[in-house]
Amino acid sequence: MIEGIYYFMMVPMVYAAAAVFVTGVVARSVRIVIAPRQMTTLQVFPRRRAPWVHALVDTFLMPTIRTIRPVLWVFTLLFHGALVLLIIGHLELIRDIRLFQVVPHQVFLGGGLIGLALTLSLLYFLFSRFKTPYREISVPEDYFLLLLLLLTVLTGSHMDWAQYLSPAGFDIPVTGYREYLSSLFTIHPSVPAAIAGSPHYVLVALHIFFANLFLMFLPFSKIMHTFFALPLNLVRRGGLRGASTAP
Amino acid sequence: MEQALHHELIERFDAKLNDAMRMYLDTCARCGVCIQSCHVYASMPELKYTAVYRAEIIRRLFKRHFKAQGRFWPTLGDSAELTDDMVDTVYEAAYSCTGCRRCMVHCPFGIDTQMIMSIAKLLLITAGREPKVLTMLADMSIQKGKSTPETRANFAKAVDQLRDEVLGRWRQAHGDKVVPLDVQDADILYVALAGKHSMVPAAAIMNAAGEKWSLSYYEAVNFGAFVGNPEKTKLIAQRIIDEAVRLRVKEVSICECGTAYRVMRHMMGKLPFKVTSFIEVVARYLEQGRIKLEQGRIKGRVTYHDPCQLGRNGGVLEEPRFILSRLTSNFVDLTPNRAENWCCGGGGGLVAIGEKDFRMRSARVKADQIKAVSPDIVCTACENCHTQLSDLIGHYKINASVRFLTDMVAESLQA
Repeated sequence: MIEGIYYFMMVPMVYAAAAVFVTGVVARSVRIVIAPRQMTTLQVFPRRRAPWVHALVDTFLMPTIRTIRPVLWVFTLLFHGALVLLIIGHLELIRDIRLFQVVPHQVFLGGGLIGLALTLSLLYFLFSRFKTPYREISVPEDYFLLLLLLLTVLTGSHMDWAQYLSPAGFDIPVTGYREYLSSLFTIHPSVPAAIAGSPHYVLVALHIFFANLFLMFLPFSKIMHTFFALPLNLVRRGGLRGASTAP
Repeated sequence: MEQALHHELIERFDAKLNDAMRMYLDTCARCGVCIQSCHVYASMPELKYTAVYRAEIIRRLFKRHFKAQGRFWPTLGDSAELTDDMVDTVYEAAYSCTGCRRCMVHCPFGIDTQMIMSIAKLLLITAGREPKVLTMLADMSIQKGKSTPETRANFAKAVDQLRDEVLGRWRQAHGDKVVPLDVQDADILYVALAGKHSMVPAAAIMNAAGEKWSLSYYEAVNFGAFVGNPEKTKLIAQRIIDEAVRLRVKEVSICECGTAYRVMRHMMGKLPFKVTSFIEVVARYLEQGRIKLEQGRIKGRVTYHDPCQLGRNGGVLEEPRFILSRLTSNFVDLTPNRAENWCCGGGGGLVAIGEKDFRMRSARVKADQIKAVSPDIVCTACENCHTQLSDLIGHYKINASVRFLTDMVAESLQA
């Protein structure tokens, strides 16, 4: 029975999550693309010479957060930076990617620090919402997302940290994950014995389960800012459509 | 709430959901960076006066009526049904926001709260709950526009009475028209407000520059924009566009009215003529040497308040400072200024509605900002800001006067 539940989380639910994620993101994006266009400019001034450059800076360096909430800025940069490395780390769990090995490292990269950075950032995001006035502007979705992410990161990091911190290491080798993830990608899904036979199978299954939930919820949540932040900053900088009267 | 009205409100809401609006409503992370941006919150720290809270009211309705999440799991995003009580909340959000867009400067995603509040204002109009005085003023503007052909002669007579006052500012060659009307192929069509204070200084300045100009029959102010009625906003602006096209003018210059300028410059799309603020025209005259100013005729310490719709939202930020550098050597900028300047607290129709008590309390931060530089003159380039700043200075007992920038220029004209 429990094996069946684990298998459901590790295989059918992963495909379902990927389908919901892709379909949801595409549908949400299409909904915006087919909506009537904002015809006039919504920019704020002064006008910048290179709106694209400024929009990229706004999106990826978030200078206004640095000025107004510097601690939040540190954790936001830390979180998003770690997230990029996390994605690279997971891609390397599928197969070797030579490009990423320009800086030689072991798989999973980061020596446990990525999980630590993410955990600390998420804890800061969560606890700062307990404080006035941020508590009052928060809605249940904010806590739900943070808890989901925290659970995903903690279960994932546990495996990573055990690798480095436990004298015996972690009993599931990288080859085990690679076999599992490759099988998913080639649509010949299987859970290899290295994972299924491990006493830590439950941890892997829970990690995958929380990640699935997060992916399925993402297209219907504020995390869509992943896709909208740059276009919106371009709108603000006058780099995306919006006609003013001809000068 | 009656079902027919509910249905109509949802339809009107839906009509506002263009691509930018959908992204604004979908993206907020509730990080709270915008909280301190609002002058109302900075003056009266209550949650309901934050940009994020105001936008969240509309976002809650959006989730409930336009998103699957709001239908299937409403508590997750605090989705809210559109009820009579909710309309009251929408009113408070819409008319405690001056549409200054200072929060948009600070938001990491650039979410435009004024744009989101345009949904709120449209819902209020549809429900018949908007401030009636704004609708009345917008209707009057439209009505005046319709009857203009019959009243043109009277308008010309009234304008002619300004002759001596204009000549008092700038003595010109005998026989030239002091305030010209209906000038075909004029280089500039100047659009003033109803009062002579917005006509006399501009006329003197343009006459001093030897400009081929014409005064518009229509007033610049756009109450349609204040009340948030897109159809009326367009109707009011269209009268001026039609006149400019009829006269085949090269440029339409809007008087010191921030909203009128922004509507014509940035919200009417491509037009067959150039649109400028009169402040830009004055700066151009100075650059080209077409007018000269006597520096020092204006006595005392001068500061400048950037009107939100002219500066942050209109792009006219450096021209006023250039003009002031020619007017006085005793200029001090407010801190913060330009895009970061605090709103005066009178925008979004609040001055027209009255609301003096709220306007005074909610703009304490503006008064503090002015006090910090101890000016003798606070000058600005917007009618709305002028009224609000005058009220503020009286209320907070600041020993300064409020003046229009063009008035100071006209006073300092040098032969």
